This record gives sequence, structure tokens and C-alpha cells, in this order.
Amino acid sequence: MTNLNAVDPAAVAEEAHLEGHEVVINKSTIILRRFLRNKTAVAGLIVFVALTIFSFIGGFFTEWDKSKIDPFSIGMAPSSDHFFGTSQAGIDLYAQMVEGTRVSILIGLVVGLVSVLVAAVYGCTMAYFGGKVDKVMLFFLEALIMMPALLVVAVATNGGGGGSFKQALPSWLLLTIVLLVFSWMGTARLIRSMSMSLMSRDFVKAAQFMGVPARRIVWRHLVPNIGSLLVLDITRGVTAAILAEVTFSFIGIGIKVPDVSLGVLIGGATSQVQTYPWMFWVPLGAMFLLTGSLAMMNDGLRDAFDPSSSSVGKAKKKKKSTS
Amino acid sequence: MFRYLAKRGITYVFMIFLTTSAGYLLAVSTLKPALLEQERIPRPTPEQVVNSLSLKGLNPELNPWERYVDWLTGIVTRWDWGRSPNGAFINAEFGDRVWISTRLFLASIILTLVIGVALGVYSAARQYKFSDRAITAYSYLAYIVPAPIAYFLVQLAAININDTLGKRVFFVTGISTPGMDPGWAQFVDMVAHYAVPTIAITLVGWGSYQIAQRQYLLDNVNADFVRTARAKGLTRNQAISRHALRVSFIPVAQSIAFTIPAIFAGGFFAEKIFAWPGVGSWSIDAISQQDVNAATATLAYGSVIFAIGAILADFATTLVDPRVRVQ
Repeated sequence: MTNLNAVDPAAVAEEAHLEGHEVVINKSTIILRRFLRNKTAVAGLIVFVALTIFSFIGGFFTEWDKSKIDPFSIGMAPSSDHFFGTSQAGIDLYAQMVEGTRVSILIGLVVGLVSVLVAAVYGCTMAYFGGKVDKVMLFFLEALIMMPALLVVAVATNGGGGGSFKQALPSWLLLTIVLLVFSWMGTARLIRSMSMSLMSRDFVKAAQFMGVPARRIVWRHLVPNIGSLLVLDITRGVTAAILAEVTFSFIGIGIKVPDVSLGVLIGGATSQVQTYPWMFWVPLGAMFLLTGSLAMMNDGLRDAFDPSSSSVGKAKKKKKSTS
Repeated sequence: MFRYLAKRGITYVFMIFLTTSAGYLLAVSTLKPALLEQERIPRPTPEQVVNSLSLKGLNPELNPWERYVDWLTGIVTRWDWGRSPNGAFINAEFGDRVWISTRLFLASIILTLVIGVALGVYSAARQYKFSDRAITAYSYLAYIVPAPIAYFLVQLAAININDTLGKRVFFVTGISTPGMDPGWAQFVDMVAHYAVPTIAITLVGWGSYQIAQRQYLLDNVNADFVRTARAKGLTRNQAISRHALRVSFIPVAQSIAFTIPAIFAGGFFAEKIFAWPGVGSWSIDAISQQDVNAATATLAYGSVIFAIGAILADFATTLVDPRVRVQ
């Protein structure tokens, strides 16, 4: 009888040889390389990072801020003094843009990251426990989907009498919370159905029979298998949150003046497209750059995380000759 | 089949009851019509306000729970959804508006679905050709534009067309011109009013279906069962339409259920921008006018639409997927 556990010295040497020569590439390295190979995705990442940097340090390049009125240039077209022009009231658009972009990016990132996290925990819990727990949690989830987010946003940010939330929190934070509450259900449902099919696979069953605790099974067996989906849903969630903010503020129920966001700027300028075109097109352009860069990254990330991706790089000649 | 339908129906009725009740309690504790009445000129005394509101069943002095019980009794016993602070009856108002909304969205929803799925299949069958790239790029563009801004841009374009032609071809707001003679002139007028909103909603809507359908179909085009079908001698198009398409339509059919409420929410922006007085714009007006009953009625309507969509999605799944049996 052969001892299956005996260590084969040849195999060990082989493994050491492989590790030493970097023939086995780390999973994260592969993902990074695949991502960098996709030019569109890299361009998207650069644009997104540039916008983020702009929104944080852009304020230092101008002497104006969002509440300062320049009485000598009211409704002026873009010039060297006011990079993006001024509004009807003489407020510098550049300063408003810096602030608005920052608020929009912040809302997007917070809502995108946290909602995917909540969805992952909720969806995996449902799938793992199944039965009654699953039924009750699914019922709660569908009830939340049924609630039109629009009405709740409107009530929360607009409720005349019960303005207690409104005074306690700035409107952008309030909008973030409401968006968070209503953004995770679709992903959670998707994760539930994917995890359920994973739960019936043999490797999960084997782990259960071996007595591996539930938390560990979820972490070691479920999460890696739905990892690519999670990463994708983060970028998608960020885009959706930015769009939702713009949409709600556009029709005037999201963020309220004096707080500024891209949606507020776009919405406020719609009636002046003919007279002050820059007030409309500049924030709209920034919004396109923001959501567009995320969409570009999305495709690259999907390719990078897809284990069966057909994206292959050029073979490195130097390595080939040595091995 | 019938048992399944009844079971699902009961679950959804219970769910609608819960969301509507939660919505009513939320609305009744945050919306205060009495404050708006105070702004009238001449300014009414608080007693007058309470009096006029309680005549309409909106007594602000009762606590939320008592008002909830009153409201629920009205619906259960008389199917009476209450009245607005301005005295209008919710039932009558709702009847008018739901018809307007349905007219606005029905054509757009059907067009959106058919165009989206058809283009998705077309582009998946021609992956990485020019037509695929162009169609998919457009869909991503539509995906990153918020709906109201897209509607607004379509509206601007229509206005520009009107200006260049020098006459009014498209109406960018409203449902119809009052005082039109019935017959051909009225029909042309109706088409001119419908064209811009319908085109706008369809142009924005189909992108997500195209992307989803293309993605799912591409996942299946290289599956073993499609290769088997090819090996049996089917052409590529036959293999795709008979084997890959059916499987890949399942998740799309599922997603339709969850996008129908979204279309109605997006439709709210359409109603606001194209000035169609439908249910969506009513829901927002209700909130700005602190109208508890109207806000709750629109919420209940949204829940019903969602339930219908979810049940329809289940049926669509059983139609295309032979493995699923409704039971």
C-alpha cells in the first residue's frame, strides 16, 4: 500500500522551482495585469481618479467659493478670472463644481460600497440558512423593493411638518442614508440565487459534513465564488448612486440649496440653457465624465475577474527562453 | 396552476397591505396639511383649519393610529381612499390619472422590451463586429444618462426641429390641444403629442435590456448544448435561436418584473418634464401639498404594479424554461 501522504521530494523541488521562477502568478497579479491590459478601463480609472483629485484640491486654484458673489461679473461666460463662468447671481461656477463633484463622488462611493456589503451579508445569510429564515428575509426584501424609493426620498427630504430629520442632518447625508436603504435589494436577491446554487455543490456539502463552521464556509467557499460579482456590483452601485443623486436633485427633491451637487447644478440650469449655456453643459459634462469613467472601468473589471476570460496578453519572450 | 396563482396572489396582497400601511403611517406622521392652510389669505384660525380638515376626514388632532384605523375602515367597507386637503376625492382623481399614465407608458414599455431584446440578440450574434460595438456603445451611453436629463435633451432636440422647420411639428408638453375637431385632425394632434414622450422613454429604456440580453446570450453561445446542436447539423442561427436564446431569456424575463416599477418611477420624471398629469407627477404633488391620502394611494398603486410584474415574470419564465413547472 502506498502512502498517499508521503512527500515526494521531486514534487517539492518542482514546486520550489515554479515558485522561484514566478511561473505561477498570483491571482491578484493576474487580475491587475488583465485590468491594465484593457486600455479603455485604464483610461476610465485615470479619469475617475483625476476627477476625485480635482474635487478635493480644486478649491485651492480659485479665490472664489460657493457663497461668494462677484458683483462685477454676473452671468459671465467662462474667462480666465472665472474658469467656468458665473451664474445669474454672480457665483463662480468653478467653485460650485469642485464642491458638487465632491458631494456626488462621496455619495456614490459610500452608497456603492456599503450597499454591496449589506447585500452580500444578507444574501449569503439567506442562502446559507434557507428554510424559514430565507422565507422571512425574502419577504422583507420584496416588501422593501415594493416601497417606491422616490416617495420615501421625497417625504424624508421634503416633509414639511416633521422636519426633524431635515434639521438634524445635512441634506446630502440624509439622501445618502435613504439611497442606502433602497439600493441593496436587487443585488441581495441576485447573490441569494447564486449562493443557493453554490450551496448545493459538492464542495460545500463536503465542508459541511466535515464539520466546518457556517461562518467559515461562507467566507472560504461562497465569497470567493461570488467575488467577481461583488466587485462589479460595487462599480455598478457607485454609478447608480451618482445617477440617483443627480436624478433626485434634478427634479428638486434630493439635495437642497445651499448644499451643492452635480444634480443641483444641472437641475438649476435647465431653464437657462439658452441664455447661460455653460451653467448647464459644464456640470452635465462632469457628470458624463464621472459615470462614463465608471462604466469604462466596469467592462475592464468584468474581464479581469472573469476566470474564463479570453483576454490574453503577449507572451514574454525573455521568460520563455529561460524556462 | 390556479393554486399557485392563488398562493402568490395572497402573499402579494398581504405584502401590498404591509407596504401601504407602513407608507400611510410614515406619511401621516410627516405630512401636515394644516401648516399649508395657515398660509392662506385671509389667514384662517386654527379652529377653522381643524374644522375644514376634519370634514374631509383629515382631522389633524387625532393621533396617527386613530387616523390609520379610520382610513382602513373606509377602504375595506366602502372602497373609499379618502379625500385631499383641497376636497378632491382620491378615487375619482386616481381613475383619471391612471388612464393617462397607462396611455403614456404602455407603448413605450412594449417598444423598449422588443427593441432591447431584439438588439441584444442581434449584437450578441455579431460579437465585436462594428454593428455590435455601435449598438452596445449606445446602450452604455443611455445607461449613464439619468432619465430626466435624457428626456430634457430629447425635448430640446424636438424644440430645435420645430424651430428649424419653422412650424410646430411636435408638441413637447401636454396631452392634447383642447378644442380640436374629432376625426383626422384630432388623430394627427394626438400623434404629435405622443411622439416626443414615447420616443424619449424608448430611447432611454432599451439600453439596459440590450446589454443584459447580449451578456446572457454570449454566456450561452459557447455552451456545450449549443455546440451539440451545431454538431447535429443546425445552422448557427438555428442553434442560437432554438437553444441559446431560450436559456438566456430567463434572467432577462426575471429582471423585467423588477424594472416595471422602475419604468413607472422613471415615468414620473417623464410626466413631470412632458407635463402629463399622470399618477407619477401626482405622487410628488401630493407630497408638496402635504396630501396624505393621495401619497398613500400612489404608493399602493406602485406596489400593485410590482406584484403584477413579479407574477408575469414567473409566467414568462415557465414559458421559456421547460425545466420550471409552476406548482
